[in-house]
Amino acid sequence: MTTDDVVILCAAGMLVTAYLIVGQKALFVAIRLYGLQSILLGVVAVAMGLTDHRYHLFIGAALTIGLKGLFIPWFLMRIIDRIGIHREIEPYVNIPSSLLICLGLTVVGYRVSTGLAEGGRGVTHHVVGVSLSMILMGLFLMVSRRKAVSQILALLTVENAVFLVALGATSGMPLVVELGISFDVILAVLVLGILVHRIVERFESMDVSRLSNLKG
Amino acid sequence: MTLLLWTLVVPAVTAALGVLPGPRWVKEARLVAGLCVTLILSAATAGKFLGGSVPTAFDDALRVDGLSALVLVLSAFVGFISGLYSVGYLRRNEERRLMPRQNEERSPVARGKEERRRAPRGSEERRLVPPSRRREFDALVPLYVFAMLLVAVSNNLGILWIAVELTTLVSVFLVAFHNRDTSLEAAWKFLVLGSLGLAFALLGTVLLFASGRGLLGEGMSGLNWTRFMSLAHELHPFTLKLGVVFALIGYATKAGLAPMHTWKPDAYREAPSPAGVLMAVGMLNGALYCLLRIHLIAKAALGPGFSGGLLLMLGLLSVAVATPFILIQWNLKRLLAYSSIEHVGIMAVGLGLGGEAATFGALLHMTYHTFVKPLAFFSAGTLAQLHRSSDFEDIGTGTLGRTPVASGLFVLAAVMVTGSPPFGLFFSEMIILRAGFLGPHAAWVAFFLACLVLLFCGYFFQVGRLILGPEPESATRRKPDAERLDAGTATTMLAAVLAVISAFYLPQRLLDLIHAAVRVVEGGP
Repeated sequence: MTTDDVVILCAAGMLVTAYLIVGQKALFVAIRLYGLQSILLGVVAVAMGLTDHRYHLFIGAALTIGLKGLFIPWFLMRIIDRIGIHREIEPYVNIPSSLLICLGLTVVGYRVSTGLAEGGRGVTHHVVGVSLSMILMGLFLMVSRRKAVSQILALLTVENAVFLVALGATSGMPLVVELGISFDVILAVLVLGILVHRIVERFESMDVSRLSNLKG
Repeated sequence: MTLLLWTLVVPAVTAALGVLPGPRWVKEARLVAGLCVTLILSAATAGKFLGGSVPTAFDDALRVDGLSALVLVLSAFVGFISGLYSVGYLRRNEERRLMPRQNEERSPVARGKEERRRAPRGSEERRLVPPSRRREFDALVPLYVFAMLLVAVSNNLGILWIAVELTTLVSVFLVAFHNRDTSLEAAWKFLVLGSLGLAFALLGTVLLFASGRGLLGEGMSGLNWTRFMSLAHELHPFTLKLGVVFALIGYATKAGLAPMHTWKPDAYREAPSPAGVLMAVGMLNGALYCLLRIHLIAKAALGPGFSGGLLLMLGLLSVAVATPFILIQWNLKRLLAYSSIEHVGIMAVGLGLGGEAATFGALLHMTYHTFVKPLAFFSAGTLAQLHRSSDFEDIGTGTLGRTPVASGLFVLAAVMVTGSPPFGLFFSEMIILRAGFLGPHAAWVAFFLACLVLLFCGYFFQVGRLILGPEPESATRRKPDAERLDAGTATTMLAAVLAVISAFYLPQRLLDLIHAAVRVVEGGP
């Protein structure tokens, strides 16, 4: 198995995890799936670094696996443990239709990827196609779920997909910028966590559809 | 260290010092002094640019050209004046904690209406700032100023994104500052929408980088805006277009252009007034600056039509969306938010029209807006504090008789904010309109003008009703606190003086900066 195969396999794995997150009602499974997705992203980075001898990608990969693969899932688990809410009760769109819609979004993502500079052929075609579909699926997840933690997961899926675009369509972002972005993402998750905590304390629920008093 | 670095270090250090304990006057002095030094250093940096040198740092990652210098000075000014106002604002808040109000009974009518609107409020105690939160405020405001200045001077698109994300994270805490139910709701919406916008902007940045196909280089400098500009014709067109669309949508979310504006009214209502100004002027200028940088790359590579048309459409939509919401508004600060959506729309229209005159008009509008908006926010904040609510229903009509100074200043602000002659915003709007009618989009500009006229009427309808309307019978109303000449009122008056002066006299050096910024946008010498 060449490294190219590994890249394609892992990118496909990320798409599968995205589908599983969409099809999942139990929040803690969804969080674990997100962790798995981040680890796969790290593996893609390592494999790409090995193919092109771009060893600075390893640092980004280590950060991805450590922070997004382990730390963020642990942090989100702790939040839902404390709150004691484990299930997405009723998404706005039911699961089978969600999956069908996501199938359509994947087709759109692959179609758009052929227009990019390197998108039409080989490994990058798959990587960019997968990441664009994941972005669309993340956006869909965002508007179709009620629970605050589900929305955070949707946001993080989009974030992962953007990193995958960066790997596929460019030779990886410059290291300093990548470090800065990772730092900001962690900070954003912490802020989101704090906010969820305050919301639950005040509303005794993390159903964001209750946050609907401000209008006009 | 160079002057440019000091400009960034001072607010960062002020933020770090903000968490230290100390008596109240030390905290206030620390905050104001830090922001004042920041303003002086920013002005000095801009002066150095006008003197002919281009201040840079870190291998061109930070670079001050005309546009940066203008936004830098305006952001530092906003930071300083809102720091100054926060002294009076927080003092009032603290006094109110010690002295619960006497006549708490509300009219049954008002209470019933309130229940129907289901706006849950915390008790009076909850709404005020406990002393421990002051530390949070003292650290967050300078940090916000630091991020705004970093936005203004970064030449690297990656650092630009990081700085904008930093402003978002900081302002979330400022929005949630009062910790009411509605603050949490506003903060959540703001954070989710803002993060999503920034994810788009990041994707846009990545795609812009990808459009270089390796020509831009691997290192840090590969994301430099100047590098993009010099290689504009080599960029891959489809990837670039996709990237520009995502980046523009992303940063337009931060600027509050319609249809991504929905966080704005909620966030402005909930944020304490000094923080509201930072968002309404500082973040607006910064986000518009990001939009311009992306627009310029697209303009150099694809011609002015593509991103210019997008900016024009977003701007027109914002102005159109603001119109009905101003007419039906029920809250003082939300009124200001829709006015801010209108103004960012006007600037986007000016920039989207392109050409030297319209660009000059847009940047002049940005400058005047920066001087006028603090007055509107400060006087509205004072009114809201005196009446202990910013909802029209709680304030009641005819405030001029009860709180003459704050009401008078708010009317003055309304006259200037709506762009009435002879004040500055009138002239900048005229410049944009004239350039628009002479250009190819005259029909759209006519629509734009119609919206502006309606907005003008709507704003004055609301202000007139609130300030000059009939006074309610005293038995059914809460009485506002008496007006006093305290630090907050003094700062509001200072803002009024500055706003009026700016309308008739802009310093020559500031005009030079605007012209330098126009040269950057129009690609002149």
